[in-house]
Amino acid sequence: MELMMLSEFIHPSQPGTERQLVEKVVRAVGGRLEGETLERMKTAVSEAVMNAIEHGNRNREELPVRVEVMASERAVKVRVTDYGSETPIPETTAPDIEAMLAGQAKPRGWGLFLIRSMSDEFHITNGSGFHTMEMVFYTESSGNEYKNP
Amino acid sequence: MNTKILEANVRCESGAAFIDLQGEISAPAEDALTRAYEEAIQANTNTIVLNFSAVDYINSTGIALILNLLVKAGRSHRRLYAFGLSDHYREIFRITRLADFMKIFMDESSVLAAL
Repeated sequence: MELMMLSEFIHPSQPGTERQLVEKVVRAVGGRLEGETLERMKTAVSEAVMNAIEHGNRNREELPVRVEVMASERAVKVRVTDYGSETPIPETTAPDIEAMLAGQAKPRGWGLFLIRSMSDEFHITNGSGFHTMEMVFYTESSGNEYKNP
Repeated sequence: MNTKILEANVRCESGAAFIDLQGEISAPAEDALTRAYEEAIQANTNTIVLNFSAVDYINSTGIALILNLLVKAGRSHRRLYAFGLSDHYREIFRITRLADFMKIFMDESSVLAAL
């Protein structure tokens, strides 16, 4: 897939600012995504930025979150990178809502689950001193875009 | 910070307590949601209805906060209903399985018909 870089942003790790960055990503994407696919992208990128700020960079404002927006004819790819921690982003399973409702588990862990569910492809790179989440969204719908866990 | 603070107002209709939500459901929404829930259960009803018509953003922390309301409702044997979700958030409620534990309606008239 031949990719064109649409835009790149460096964002401070300020909690609660993910929506600002998502709006920049939406503008960069232009009309390449629309409808449900656009909404899925917005949710996935929002959660990835939140994860980068809160878990990767531990809310340290001086540490940046880097967002790259790329596109090919068939897809939009968004990469979100944090630089704050050596702890790898874990592989995640679907949170156990029944255990949470029974008080046997804390109601957490929905962020990674949503990123994976909203993306057509999702890849994690855990590097030395950085983590990158890469989310791909196909520009043409191919059926059940909301993936069941 | 650019977060819109959630507004949550309680009213009673047809024997149920409605919580009308406006804004974002994210981390800063916790206090407003908790206060509204505590006010709603004062209405001595076993049905609490969440109105999402004016909610424009729910993130993963918001999902956890809504789940907390479900836990509280379950412990006190109350039902939790919801209406006014966009198509996108209805899908999120489905894949997170929140929709398995709270009835989701399209609009308020559907809720009132069910009460």
